Amino acid sequence: MSRASRVRPGPALYLLLLAAAAAVSPPWLGAQERFRRTPPLPDAAPQELKLPPIERISLPNGLSVATAYRPGSQLVTLQLVVRAGEVDSPPALPSVAALTARMIGKGTKLLSADAIGDMIESIGADYSVDVLMDYTVFTFHVLEEFLDRALSVLRIMVLDPQFTERELASVKRAAYYDLAGRKKNPEFLGWRQFLRMLFENHPYQTATYAEDVIKFVSAKDVASFYSRFYRPDNAVILLSGTIDRATVVQKIGVHFAPWVRQPIERAVPAPPPPNARDRICYVEDPEAAEATIFVGNLIMPASDPDFFPFFVLKQVLGGTTRSRLFMNLRESKGYAYYAFSETEFFRSCGVYWARALVRPEFIVPAAWEIVREIKALSTAAPVPAEIEEAKSFLIGNLPTRFESLDGYADWMARAVALELDDGQWDKGPERLKLVNVESVRAVAQNYLARKPLVVVVGRPDWLDRFLRDFETVEVYDTSGTLKRTLRKGEER
Amino acid sequence: MASSTNMHFAARSLILILMTLLVAVSFPTATAQETAPNTLGFEVQEHRLRNGLRVILSVDSSLPLVTVAVAYSAGTIREQPGQEGLAYLLENLMFQGSENVGPLQHVGFIQRVGGDLNATSTPDRALFYQTLPSNYLALALWLESDRMKSLAITPAAVEITRTDLLKEHQDRLASDPYLESFALFDSLLFPDFPYGHTLIGTGTEMRGLTESDILAFHRTYYVPDNAVLCIVGNIDIVRTKELIARYFDSIPPGMNIPAPPLPNFRQENEVVVAQPGFPASSTGFHLGYRFYPMQPNDAYSLKILEYLLLKGNTSRLTDRLLNRDRTAHHFSGTLEERHGVLALKFFCLNNNTVMAERSQKAILSEIDRLRTNPVSADELAKVKRLFKMDYLRSQSTNLGRALFLIDAVFSGKPMIALGGELNKYLRVNPPSLVSLVNRHFTPQNRVMLELGLK
Repeated sequence: MSRASRVRPGPALYLLLLAAAAAVSPPWLGAQERFRRTPPLPDAAPQELKLPPIERISLPNGLSVATAYRPGSQLVTLQLVVRAGEVDSPPALPSVAALTARMIGKGTKLLSADAIGDMIESIGADYSVDVLMDYTVFTFHVLEEFLDRALSVLRIMVLDPQFTERELASVKRAAYYDLAGRKKNPEFLGWRQFLRMLFENHPYQTATYAEDVIKFVSAKDVASFYSRFYRPDNAVILLSGTIDRATVVQKIGVHFAPWVRQPIERAVPAPPPPNARDRICYVEDPEAAEATIFVGNLIMPASDPDFFPFFVLKQVLGGTTRSRLFMNLRESKGYAYYAFSETEFFRSCGVYWARALVRPEFIVPAAWEIVREIKALSTAAPVPAEIEEAKSFLIGNLPTRFESLDGYADWMARAVALELDDGQWDKGPERLKLVNVESVRAVAQNYLARKPLVVVVGRPDWLDRFLRDFETVEVYDTSGTLKRTLRKGEER
Repeated sequence: MASSTNMHFAARSLILILMTLLVAVSFPTATAQETAPNTLGFEVQEHRLRNGLRVILSVDSSLPLVTVAVAYSAGTIREQPGQEGLAYLLENLMFQGSENVGPLQHVGFIQRVGGDLNATSTPDRALFYQTLPSNYLALALWLESDRMKSLAITPAAVEITRTDLLKEHQDRLASDPYLESFALFDSLLFPDFPYGHTLIGTGTEMRGLTESDILAFHRTYYVPDNAVLCIVGNIDIVRTKELIARYFDSIPPGMNIPAPPLPNFRQENEVVVAQPGFPASSTGFHLGYRFYPMQPNDAYSLKILEYLLLKGNTSRLTDRLLNRDRTAHHFSGTLEERHGVLALKFFCLNNNTVMAERSQKAILSEIDRLRTNPVSADELAKVKRLFKMDYLRSQSTNLGRALFLIDAVFSGKPMIALGGELNKYLRVNPPSLVSLVNRHFTPQNRVMLELGLK
């Protein structure tokens, strides 16, 4: 036995042994650590939201080019924004704007629609067209090595279109079935009726057409719409990605130089008056499984200084599952599967709405509860804690809007088409931080005090069973045609 | 003197051993670290904690965001007969609270700071993810670690969640007349229980599940050594590793996690099943091929073949059925993977049975053409461009990148090899497609479900 084995460790060594034993044994054998009991504090504030600046230039024919350098990807987004949307269709021919946009790429004097489709797919491009209320966007996402060819395809499609009755018939058929198919979605029916009522007798109502009007549009109408609006001085080309700005601007100049300018006059429609009376519209949808409710009214355009305070207000009302509508209608009352609030902005105004999916037996109390929540915000501003939580969500969530190719492209097109202040979003966090109880109270009093419009989508038999407590109900079919008006107490 | 020296030597040795042990255990995350080459356009780091948790990190500082995703090898293939719906039910119950987080508080914590979150179940995994401001990384790790360590559910929560899921399922069935046929087709294409049963079963099995069934499933499969934690975004690697160690290192590993069941498909001839009384306005059919087992590079060829047949308006089958023959008014298809088993599935709707038969023949003739006629260089180049576009696009967000990395883990691809993966797809050539079709597109791998009208 060696002498060393007789060494007796002192107290310090005992402690060290204990520490070592604790360290060597698996950490999962101990009691719960204290840090698990409460949520951790965040690290210091995150880096600022920095969006690449949009640089603009005008070419000699009036075509604008807007570019944003966005490194880190081999993909480039090429867009053409034409400042002509659904609102620009003649009142007698709704859908012309949409059909014209869909006819772009359906053939030229030299190339068939199939040949153009082949050209797009041969460069691996993802092509789409969106026709919105005020503008139309043609979007190509493409590998950067094929940008030049994508520009060439876009030029061919936009500068040399041919509008044949044969191709138009095919486009009309697709548009018809698309709209007819969307009627199976109660949310679509509700949203369309909501806009139709809010924009009654206003140019924006043109956008709310049903599929049966599509048949009235001829190739001549499409050619006429194209000739009027598809002009370089009414369009912007947008590019974002890892691009060399000088080179792409030069290439765009070469490709689009033959596009002939023709100044057009396009006035911004004056905003319609907001809804100011109790109005319940019921869309009969024989296939509806539950009731869908829309409640809302007109608000300011996105360029208005009230935009950010209202954004916070909308968040308080129904931005998430923690907001007032969800907590009240679903969690507290059990009327709804969900209830949220949203906004949409056009050139001359915006709209806000609450949207809820409701059990049919609770249509009336749910609708009144939504109206009550809206009114409550107009009479008593949210408490500071509610406002701060809404701001925290919006500031934190803002960067997610720009993460995807589509999200970024949508933002850029919107900023350019609606001529928004470039800093609207990347200065968004700062502007949101400035929102306070007073500014929220002011916008709530200004925009929520008006009586909101109520639109319900549900089965025809629910009218008798569940809606007898409404004073007056306008009943519409799925195409938006008024069928009858029901009054409380009258024979139905 | 000698004894004193010996004593000092012994004490010093013990101290050195202890210090070594302390150092060793204080860096539990420093094992088996790898760095993939940067051909993906982003860096990936990988390591494992002592409890077996696999961690994958990737930095992207372009926006002040981070995505935290946790995937468990706990999908429907883990369910036993009579347990259908268990994986899906548990996925939803993971939001109903844990030892330190109340019911639905997980959602509230993430939404309060502006984050988005979701979860999903597939045959091979249960996946949970959130994207939030990057300075709240610790919050996401705290939440995910708490529900991994100590799920706390009540009978009431089980009942409410189960009722909601069954109601949603009934609504989906009511609004989509084709949905049930997809479930039936999957059970034919994957003719063994673990691979072929549906996410929710008939509903009867889910109603019979008890709280202890659910907790046992959680104890068995929701454990660190059966999970992958993937973090992508605006992160500092050192700080992130510290936080991961803090929140996950003390979670015990699982005990005897069963290996996922291997598929057991035996089929002598083509299976053709007719489902009459179909409650919809169109007749149609599902047609599919199952591929198992495969050679190592077959999956790359098969993906390119999927694009050749199905992707875009000019793809062979889409063009033939919808544009040229016009025998179908709806046609779609996809390549699906279930824990290493690949299947190419087509779904076609027609105006009548004659058109349905013509569509079937057209699909089979297009596949037959591939057996002998190599694809042209131009067509293959087009297909690869479409694929490359989608491949890169799928990784263009933090969440997309996290899901891509988790997919790679579940497919058994080493992180270090991912940098060269795109090239494997782009190197697929006409002879490899001919070979693939001749070896795998056989009647023994083919299943057809014909849908007849009422």
